[in-house]
Amino acid sequence: MTQKDFWLNSKVAVIGGGSFGTVLADLVARNCREVRLYVRSEEQARQINATRSNADYLPMLELKPNIAAMSDLERVFDGGVSAVIWALPSSVCRAQARRMAPLFKGDEVLLHATKGIEQGTLKRISEILREELPCPRIGVISGPNLAEEIARGDPAATVVASVFDEVVGAGEALLANDRFRIYRVNDVIGVEWAGTLKNILAIASGALDALQYGWNARAMLITRGLAEIVRFGAAMGAEKETFLSLAGVGDLLATCSSPLSRNYRVGFRLAKGETLEKVLADLGTTAEGVGTVKSVWDFASRRGIAMPITEAVDLLIENKATMAEIVQRLMSRPGQS
Amino acid sequence: MTTVHGTGGSHPTIRFEQRAPVEGRLHDFERVRLRVLADVVARTQERFARAPLDMLLGEALYLENVRLKREEANLFTRRRLKGDRELWGAVRAGLLQSPVTADRKALLRSVVKHYAEEIGGHFNPKLYRFATGAVPWGFSWLLNAASVRRFLPWGMTQSLESRLRIVGEVPALQRLAQQGTILLVPTHQSNIDSMLIGYVIYLMSLPPFSYGAGLNLFSNPALSFFMNGLGAYTVDRKKSNVIYKETLKNYSTRLLREGVHSIFFPGGGRSRSGAIESRLKLGLLGTALEAQIQNLQQRSEKPNIYVVPMVMSYHFVLEAASLIEDYLAEAGKHRFIITDDESWQPTKILSFFWKLFSSQSGITVRIGKPLDVFGNYVDEEGRSLGPNGTYLDARRLLTTEGELKAVPQRDQEYTRELGARLTERFHRENTALTSHVVAFAFFETLRRKYPELDLFRFLRLSVAQRSLPMEEFLAQAERYRQKLLEAADRGELFLSDELRTQELRAWVEDGVRQLGLLHDAGVVRIQGGAIWSEDMTLLYYYRNRLAGYGLSLLAEGGEMTGKPGQNDSKGFLA
Repeated sequence: MTQKDFWLNSKVAVIGGGSFGTVLADLVARNCREVRLYVRSEEQARQINATRSNADYLPMLELKPNIAAMSDLERVFDGGVSAVIWALPSSVCRAQARRMAPLFKGDEVLLHATKGIEQGTLKRISEILREELPCPRIGVISGPNLAEEIARGDPAATVVASVFDEVVGAGEALLANDRFRIYRVNDVIGVEWAGTLKNILAIASGALDALQYGWNARAMLITRGLAEIVRFGAAMGAEKETFLSLAGVGDLLATCSSPLSRNYRVGFRLAKGETLEKVLADLGTTAEGVGTVKSVWDFASRRGIAMPITEAVDLLIENKATMAEIVQRLMSRPGQS
Repeated sequence: MTTVHGTGGSHPTIRFEQRAPVEGRLHDFERVRLRVLADVVARTQERFARAPLDMLLGEALYLENVRLKREEANLFTRRRLKGDRELWGAVRAGLLQSPVTADRKALLRSVVKHYAEEIGGHFNPKLYRFATGAVPWGFSWLLNAASVRRFLPWGMTQSLESRLRIVGEVPALQRLAQQGTILLVPTHQSNIDSMLIGYVIYLMSLPPFSYGAGLNLFSNPALSFFMNGLGAYTVDRKKSNVIYKETLKNYSTRLLREGVHSIFFPGGGRSRSGAIESRLKLGLLGTALEAQIQNLQQRSEKPNIYVVPMVMSYHFVLEAASLIEDYLAEAGKHRFIITDDESWQPTKILSFFWKLFSSQSGITVRIGKPLDVFGNYVDEEGRSLGPNGTYLDARRLLTTEGELKAVPQRDQEYTRELGARLTERFHRENTALTSHVVAFAFFETLRRKYPELDLFRFLRLSVAQRSLPMEEFLAQAERYRQKLLEAADRGELFLSDELRTQELRAWVEDGVRQLGLLHDAGVVRIQGGAIWSEDMTLLYYYRNRLAGYGLSLLAEGGEMTGKPGQNDSKGFLA
């Protein structure tokens, strides 16, 4: 049996029925036999199965017939699955992994699509999963992947990274189609940090747009922002080249330019003077960047890694300065060569 | 019946009884020896089935010619080298002919066979049987004779107890040796290690273990006696070609599959710097996983290989001076084998043991927590423990796309994880002795005085600059002890009883005395209210035993230099 045949006959669990989880389920459904989409509530599962769409998060996408939504974990893992796609917010990652640990058998390929880190410990998602699950073969999916656009069928691409070639291979076999390309990478640290750190810049980008600055300002933000996240990534053990991939620059350009990005929306409204509580309440879904900023800035300032934009976003989120002050402060930094 | 007991640190005292030695698989070895060699040759050939043989052989020929040019024959190696030259002469002649007249596969077979014979053909069951009886007897004699003269004319067995402290997971190791095959992975400081390990294994009532020892060691009559005796096979690190490496790996895998408990020194050679190993040789280590895969595929009765770390702590190391010089010259990168150091001279070896056993010195040997081939802990029944109360099934972890099989890239990654875990375990299973702490505290306290100096300038401080007032040193020594106690509470290492219980002056003096046993006053000396060092490189060597714990000066300054094996900005091992 070839690799392709194996995956075409496989059962895959997608954990997390948010917009990206739903899109991933749809992609995978084309390349495997059966997709089990784990969602939080029985009601959501019923709704998805009845209407063949995820009304709360991605109503525009009609789900393939081989996708079944379920809220019972035992059923999701019943009889064993060959791959698990993990699309949960970083805040619940550890607790959910602990819950699911007994259900894993150890031969699964585990791919996560979370662009965040554990607050405080700065642990990457793959590290947390490795610590909590009896499943060593872990990889990450990351790239410029705005769920709505993929759902529409626009051409797009992503990066799949793992230290295990076979995990990357499985990611490619499961996700790729003629509208969606996969690029293989081995630098897991780089891909995870790039995906995490760009969320900070997305907030900053939203804030700049709220002030109606033009292209010069955005180019400055993206370029200088890239410089500082590369610095941070390198300090965490990432390869700098990874930041030039789709998971780095690619994701950065998409999230910093698109009003579809959640982090962008948070930055935009904060800069307009709204409070964080209100913005998050209205958003309804997670904006990973908000949690990331504080942890990253804490660490960077202790270690002496220069990250002026991250510091600025931290000031904005913590409401310690007005936008005018923040911009003033950034622009009056001592001259750089 | 002898009862050996060990005490150490916060660890519960472990008592284990001397049972009748278990009949080891090595005893049957003669019968299976030829079959094993044939299997190794077959498997190695199979591995190269699709390789471009002309290129493979040509490359090996080139590397072997370079090696043979450098090798100087002596009384012991002349015959071996002659055989090597004949083989490669034939290979060259064969490669010059067309593949029709000189079959490349046959050429490869002749090379692999030659290597397999060299690696495993050595073994002499007769000598082996004789030596397994003789070695412990020799040790006991040495122990007791030395002690008898100095202290204990009557309590002979007691002296043994006080010399060799075997602590840690001895019962677990004994149990697992019945349930699967043990791969013992010790830290490596001295050529004495091999002899010591043989004795420790005997004391633990385990059957003899097999291990790979440097080919050069077999050339030395004093050592080859022990080497052959303990079931060693040869490893020649001068042979860098892939055919040799593959043959060696297959031999090691085959032995493990045969159920022969084995020993690897995963650091490759002896630690040059004196620090605990932080970079491991993964090639040979990977044979554990390979053996397990083959066992599972063949549905062996006892498929599991257990990897058991072992950390030996010496107060003094026979070859310390040569090792650290080699490290500092950074020649260690190119020159793995020191052909002329203290451990080569039988008189030095004897005097080392004499000093060791005739004084109140001791060696602490800690058997670490057993791991599976992936680096997970195993429970009493030998089952692999996963996170959150789960068990891991090796079959599942080795199944790719529905099939239980070897996948080289995956297995390399698994082995890398095992290596990382082992490095961590080595540090955590280490027992700090008074001598290590004295050397560390003195070195680091002295460094505070010259924070701007890099390693090499620091080691060349003038004699006058190398001393500290005793009071100042004692205060710092106590501070480091406190830090170590905290580290021990966090489970980062163990401390010897002396360090835990004795008064400041008592343990400091013990440490100084221990270092002085082998090196006279070379490492540290207390004189007229001051402490100073005659030999800074030796001091550095002993200090390095506690490197990698984030205790050094620059680690305090907030620099992230706590990772084992890393150098700080001034070139010191962090």
